[in-house]
Order: sequence, then structure tokens, then C-alpha cells
Amino acid sequence: MMSKLSNVWVFSDIASRLPEVIAGGVELGEKVSAFVIGSEDEIAKAYSLGATHVYYLGEKDTSKIIEDYAETMAHAISNGDANTLMLLGATKRGKALAAKLGVQLKAGVINDASEVSVANGITAKHMVYGGLAIGEEKIVSPVAIVTIGNGVFEAAEADSTKNGEAVSVSFIEPKAAIKCIERRAKQGESVDLGKAKRVIAIGSGIGKQENLQMAADLGAALGAELGCSRPIAETEKWMERERYIGVSGVMLKPELYLALGISGQIQHMVGALGSQTILAVNKDKNAPIFQYADYGIVGDLNKVVPALISAFKG
Amino acid sequence: MKIITCYKLVPEEQDIAVKADGVLDTSKASPKINQFDLNAVEAAVEIKSLVGECKITALSVGGKALDNPKARKDILSRGPDDLTVVVDEKFEQLLPHQTARVLAAAAQKNGFDLIICGDGSGDLYAQQVGLQLGELLEVATINAVSKIVSAQDGIVTVERALDDEVEVLEITLPAVISVSADINEPTIPSMKTILAAGRKPVTKLAAEEIELAEIPALVESVSVLAPKQAERKQIIIDGDDEEQVAEFAEHLRKALK
Repeated sequence: MMSKLSNVWVFSDIASRLPEVIAGGVELGEKVSAFVIGSEDEIAKAYSLGATHVYYLGEKDTSKIIEDYAETMAHAISNGDANTLMLLGATKRGKALAAKLGVQLKAGVINDASEVSVANGITAKHMVYGGLAIGEEKIVSPVAIVTIGNGVFEAAEADSTKNGEAVSVSFIEPKAAIKCIERRAKQGESVDLGKAKRVIAIGSGIGKQENLQMAADLGAALGAELGCSRPIAETEKWMERERYIGVSGVMLKPELYLALGISGQIQHMVGALGSQTILAVNKDKNAPIFQYADYGIVGDLNKVVPALISAFKG
Repeated sequence: MKIITCYKLVPEEQDIAVKADGVLDTSKASPKINQFDLNAVEAAVEIKSLVGECKITALSVGGKALDNPKARKDILSRGPDDLTVVVDEKFEQLLPHQTARVLAAAAQKNGFDLIICGDGSGDLYAQQVGLQLGELLEVATINAVSKIVSAQDGIVTVERALDDEVEVLEITLPAVISVSADINEPTIPSMKTILAAGRKPVTKLAAEEIELAEIPALVESVSVLAPKQAERKQIIIDGDDEEQVAEFAEHLRKALK
């Protein structure tokens, strides 16, 4: 029988991750207590997604950083159940909060969890050695802190009939605050490849930057997002960092992954192996990518891609 | 300004073998400086160039790999003025919360204004050590630092690239920052810096020489195993003439449904 914790705490610094984080709370806990920073609407949103209690930390304050709320959250958590779990999205802020809460609450922390279980103590799995292996760890402290990767829990659906009153939590000044003097939107369009249903991955075999256009045309014809290997983003700088797949980049879970000129190094493939169907085009018959592929074609991209574009457009 | 830059020796991932039972064999993988920590060292060198009066100490804790003279010379050739290693058999394979506590004790002994860590380590990639270290030392601490904007005595201003925005942060020292992998391109040491590295001072401390409180049991490692690969169809068409591309397109069409 799957046991549950009596209460799971949840927080997401990014609104789009909240449905998954709450879903995790619902799966692992009888009660789900969500920390909310922001407007009244966001309190309602947390309830509609399945939170049973909302702890409201107030409106967003642009001079504060999210991590300044660690002491406030730690205080609320320590006033609740002794044995509990806090789930956060595995974002940069989520990880910073996790580490701070870990020290303040003498709690074990696991980041980037791909699986979380509370059946036999709190255990979680995450990628180690650059994706060569999965490490399983057990948290043995009363409070456990886990940040979860994309797609670990299926996003909770909002149900507007669910609602409740939020508990206001007063802010506790951090011991050493950091001053945010400016905040600006990130340059370039933001992509969330981790959520894409279809992805075309571009590797060094694409040859030259001009060839990205034909990959983009194929993407448009297939309704696929474009991703790439690390060298295309970091060495060539032809595509944004947000688009590179694999170790310390994006972990995909699409229905379809089509590799164009990707050799298939394990450091890249770990980000693609969660795909339902893997297809590959590569001119090198011995490229490791073919060992991971469902369907592959040994051929010239300049021939294959245009042919695919005309086969699939409109 | 007194800077400590932390680093970890990790097994060379190219030489790690996966055994049939999924267990990793690191016996042929020689220890190297974790790639992400080279960004931390480079950031320290950059800050030193901004503040003038500044000393950089490289710091690592671990097992006997830290005794290797070549590995010591390697880190010193990248810019630190001296090196402190805390070596003990029981520091082999430390978990992140343990590493953070040993580093905290060593940093307190050494003294610091700013500690710089990398994004994570190539082996465990827990991305916690720098942050937990800062929190244990009760100083300002932040991760994902993507740019050093300015540095002067007592204060550094940095950019932090997050998923949705960039924050510009003013950090009052003492502090611990963890830098992202794209903050800089680590400089490749020249023959001159490699030779000079051999003459830089190295301090080796034993566990008894730092004031290390008892480390709480928080996390235990259960297993480290290579993931099972999904079975793939592996239908590979060898050639790109019209018919073959059409056949591939047909597979693609089915996969789209």
C-alpha cells in the first residue's frame, strides 16, 4: 500500500511549474500546503490546483529576491508536522531555496529529482555522472527537501470550485540579505523545450549556420520546436543556451525527437532518451545515434531535409 | 580582498565504464578538476583584476587524490596564489551536506571575504555545496551568478541569469557565490603559469586541524546505477535516394500520429 505523508509543503517560483509541483504534493501527501507570493489571484490558483492550505507571504516585492523568504518558510515549516516534505520546482531559485531550507531545518536535500517516493522513507532519484547513472538517495532527516524536474508529476488541472482562505505569514528578515538593484526580462524569446511534444535536435553535422533555416522550415512543417547539441549552443553560439539538450541542459520528454546531424554522445542522449520515438538523420553510418534510434536514415542532410519539408508542408 | 575558490576532483567522465550490472567503474578514470569549478577560479581571477589588493586561495576537501602533485599544480596554474587542501580518508566520497560542513570549517580557519564555487560537480551534480556553505557560514549566498558587474572592497555587484529574468544583485561581503557554467571561458594555463604553479605555497590540513562539529545524518546514498535503456526499433535505412527518403518520411508520418 502506498503510504502518504500527512502534509507536503510546496512552492514554485515560476507560475507555469506550480501545477506539477502541486500535483506532486497531492500524490505524496494527505494535505498540501502551498506557499504563495503574489496577488490574490495566485492564492485562488493554488487552491484550484489542489492545495488544501495556502500560506500567503504577501505581494511580490521587487527589491527582494525569492531566496529572502527562506527564513519565513523555514519558520512556517518548523511549526508544522515534524516529519514532512517540501517540494519545489528544480529551478535556480528553487535550488537556492532548497539549500537554505536544508541548512536552516537540518534537512536532507535532493535536487533535480526524476522520481520521488514516500513509501519507504523519503527517497528520490536523480541523474549523476553527467547522466551515465541514476543515483538513488534516502533522506533520513525528519524534514526532507526535494526539487523536482519537468514532467515528474503530471500537471494538476485547475478546478475553480476548490477554494479556501489563505493564512498570512509575516516576513522574517534574512540574516544576510542580498539587494536586488535591477530586474530585467531575459533577452531572446523564452522556450520551454522540456514541454515540447515534438523536437528537432540540431548537431554539428548541420555543417553551417545557414542550414539552420532548413531545420526551422522542417520544424514549421512538423510543428516541432528546435533544440541542439551543446557545441551548437556553446561553441558555435548558433542557438540559445536554453535550447541545448542533455547534461546541464534540457531534458526532453517529447512524443517525437528527430536528430539532424547529432552524433549521439551519451552527454547529449541522456536528454533525449525520454522521447517516445527517436528518429535520426546522419551521414555517418557508425554514428552512435543510430543505436538509440527507432528509425534512422544514413544520408546527406542537404538531400533528406528538403525532401522531408516538401513531404510534410501544408 | 581575501577570496577562496573551492574545487573538487572528480573522475574523468570519458574514462568511466559501465559494467554489465549497471555499476559504474571509475577505476580507470583519473581525477581531474571539476569543469564547473574552473569557472569559479576564472571568476576569482577576474575579481582580483578589478580590486587590485587581493589574494586567492584555492580550497578543496577530499581523500588521497588531493595529495597528487600534478593535480595541485593544475589548480595553482589557473591563477590562485596558494592552495589549502583538507585531506582525510573519511573525506572520500562525501555527500554535499558533508562537503559543505567541512569546507565551512576550513574556510573559517583560513578567513575570507568572498568564497566562489562552481555550479555543481560533474559527478553528483547536486548544486548545493556553495549555497549550503554560505548558509552554514551565515553570510549572503546566491547561485547562478552569470556575470561579475563590479567588485570593490566590501561589495560585489553581479548578474544572475534565471529561467525567466536577469537579476542585478548587490552583495555585501562576506559572501559565498556559485557561478554558472556560462559566466566565462576558463583560460588555458600557459607554460609560464604551469612552471610558476610549482613554486606556490600549499597547506595540507588534517581533519583534526579544522574545527569540525559533528555532521548530522541527513541523506544516505542508496545506489548509483546506469539507467536501463528503452528498447528501440533500430530500423536504419542505409542511403538517401528518393525511395529511401520516402520510406523514412513514412516512418516519420506514423510517429507524428
